[in-house]
Amino acid sequence: MHSKPFKTPALPRRTVLAGLAAAGATAAMPMRLRAQEQITLRWWSPQSSPEQLAAYQTQIANFEAQHENIKVVFEKTSDEGYAPQLAAAFASGDVPNVVTHLPSFAVATYWTNGLLEPFNGVIDMIGPDKFYQGANDIYEIDPGQYAGTGIGNSAANMIWLRTDLMEQAGIDQNPRTWDELLSAVQKMQGGGIYGAPLPYGRNSMTSLVFIGVIHQAGGQVCAPDLSVNIDTDATRDALEFYRAMREFCPPGATNYSWGESLTAFVSGACATGLYTGRVLTNVANQNPSIADHITCDLYPTKSTDVAPWTFNDFPSVFIPKQAPNMEASKQFAAFLFDPEGYIQQLHAAPGHVLPVLKTISNDPDYQDNEIIQKYSAEVELMSEAAANGFNLGWESRDHMPNAKAGEIVNSGVIAELVQRVVLNDENVDQVLGETTARIEEIMAS
Amino acid sequence: MIATQTITPRLERSYARLGVLLIAPTILVFSLVIVYPLLAAIYLSVFSIYTPTLEGNFVGAANYVKLLTGKAFWNSLGVTLIWTVGTLTLQIVFGVGMALLLHQNIWFRSLARSLVLFPYFLSTVVAVLVWRWLFNDLYGAMNHGLMQLGILDLPLDWLGSMPNAMIGVILVGAWKYFPFVVIAVLARLQTIPEHLYEAAKIDGAGPIARFWDVTLPQLRNVLVVIVLLRAIWDFKEFDLIYLLTGGGPVTSTQTLSLLVYQEAFGLNQMGQAAAYSVGMMLVMLVFMVVYIRKTGKEG
Repeated sequence: MHSKPFKTPALPRRTVLAGLAAAGATAAMPMRLRAQEQITLRWWSPQSSPEQLAAYQTQIANFEAQHENIKVVFEKTSDEGYAPQLAAAFASGDVPNVVTHLPSFAVATYWTNGLLEPFNGVIDMIGPDKFYQGANDIYEIDPGQYAGTGIGNSAANMIWLRTDLMEQAGIDQNPRTWDELLSAVQKMQGGGIYGAPLPYGRNSMTSLVFIGVIHQAGGQVCAPDLSVNIDTDATRDALEFYRAMREFCPPGATNYSWGESLTAFVSGACATGLYTGRVLTNVANQNPSIADHITCDLYPTKSTDVAPWTFNDFPSVFIPKQAPNMEASKQFAAFLFDPEGYIQQLHAAPGHVLPVLKTISNDPDYQDNEIIQKYSAEVELMSEAAANGFNLGWESRDHMPNAKAGEIVNSGVIAELVQRVVLNDENVDQVLGETTARIEEIMAS
Repeated sequence: MIATQTITPRLERSYARLGVLLIAPTILVFSLVIVYPLLAAIYLSVFSIYTPTLEGNFVGAANYVKLLTGKAFWNSLGVTLIWTVGTLTLQIVFGVGMALLLHQNIWFRSLARSLVLFPYFLSTVVAVLVWRWLFNDLYGAMNHGLMQLGILDLPLDWLGSMPNAMIGVILVGAWKYFPFVVIAVLARLQTIPEHLYEAAKIDGAGPIARFWDVTLPQLRNVLVVIVLLRAIWDFKEFDLIYLLTGGGPVTSTQTLSLLVYQEAFGLNQMGQAAAYSVGMMLVMLVFMVVYIRKTGKEG
């Protein structure tokens, strides 16, 4: 039996001193320089179809592979739910690190209230030259300061048409004016198929679509100086058109939002539709029997004298000012435009979110998609329309950015205008007067 | 004798201190979850506050003036009362009826008693999704069934027009919450002494007379409590109505809870929303006082 030689448990003095010095140096270091601290980034988006979620997971995995100490968690929000969720997040200080796909007017609202981190640094990381010219203008709310950037473009109020039904009804060209559209849907309605799935619900889709209809009548919600200018003959014409279309819409259109409206066209229940290019992928997956009989065009206007007006919500990326781990958040926001992940994200719903980087549009990998190739004319038309698109936050090139646009939409005042006049048959003059007063109150708040 | 007199107050003081100590956690929790939010709501209601930043300025009674002079609060109060009375009435009628049925010696009674609780246990979001699908104009089973039976020629717009939307939410609310009435009434039915029914039979009372003269008087106390509790809960119902109709068409199903939510998060006016919620609380206080008085008397 051997006994081990006795050793003192005490550490050598030199080791102890070295350890103390190292600990002191570590404590004195700024947090961000400490070795590989584990951090979690939260990413919010209202766009979360299964294909998009798969693309996000690729982007997250690629980013995490490059940054071993960072974990990214994706959290869903919704088009109808993001405003209250973000309001609560901002109020509590528990904000996500990166938010994507919200409309530009929401970004403007948050920016003017001092809630967002300037995005200039992220745009620099992506490469300003890669963007289409003027793509970031809508986010330059204060001169030289960008509130966010676009993650894509969308042409949200394209009219979708069933060419087979048009042919059966003897319609040889796409409707250009409201009269032509009314005539077309009248001819195509029947046999269990309705003419159009326009929304009449008390929701943001009704508001956003009807703002487009006002413009398609030659009107506007606010004048370029942002004084309220909705009580006009153009709005009255828009309401008359919307009323006339009601009999060609399904009964439940009074409660339709984006999902129901999309499904009504994709399922074949309606002869026309109103949506972005998401129609293409949904038709391919859910109702391929009509895939060879669909096309899209710019939504008709009151007359050929009025130019089409495309609603582009300018899906955005932004970073809340209160977000923790700001440097990592900016790196992740910029990484979302990395070609591999970005193209997969765009391919998740081809034609739905269109690229804002010209380097991506020209990338063969982006063009290498069955749906984009099959519907190249439609995708081209949507891209062009979206590039010249507007929304309530920026109604025309002459308009100032409207930072109250989000609150006007979320208040439901425009949707209520539609419901009161079209569904309840209330006096249009009185309703328009009250609508003007309510929008003025929001603008002044 | 002197020693006993000295010890007794000392003991009493000791017991009093122990009592305070024992009740302190309850008071602390009560203060945190009830008193603080209540005072915070009252405090917020005298400010104009932008929700995301929680910054604003003092406006005194302006929010209450708007509440009293504007149409929004009164319109929503009317909608809330219609919803509460409508759904509560159906809950009581269906609940008592079902409880009476389940009190009988029927086949599979135990299974039926379990199944009847299903809607109450189901998540509201899931229940609403199912009902929205049933009500769907193009694919809903409701329209499909009624059209197959020849009752309807065209699909009915269940949730997008009035009065259908209000009828729809009232029906779904009644379906969701009537099991609560069943549970409470069934428990009371099982404790009604059998000899009361035997005496009534000897006096020649039929089934209907026995219900009115024996069962209902015996259920009176439990029904008062059920009505008050459910009235309070229905009055502040939010998720079911929000998910079914969002308050529409226009504001036809916008209850006070939805109005508060819309003001706080749609318009970002937290101060005004707080004023509406204080107004709502005052209305609910009436229910609460009645409940406390009733349960106090029972005690």
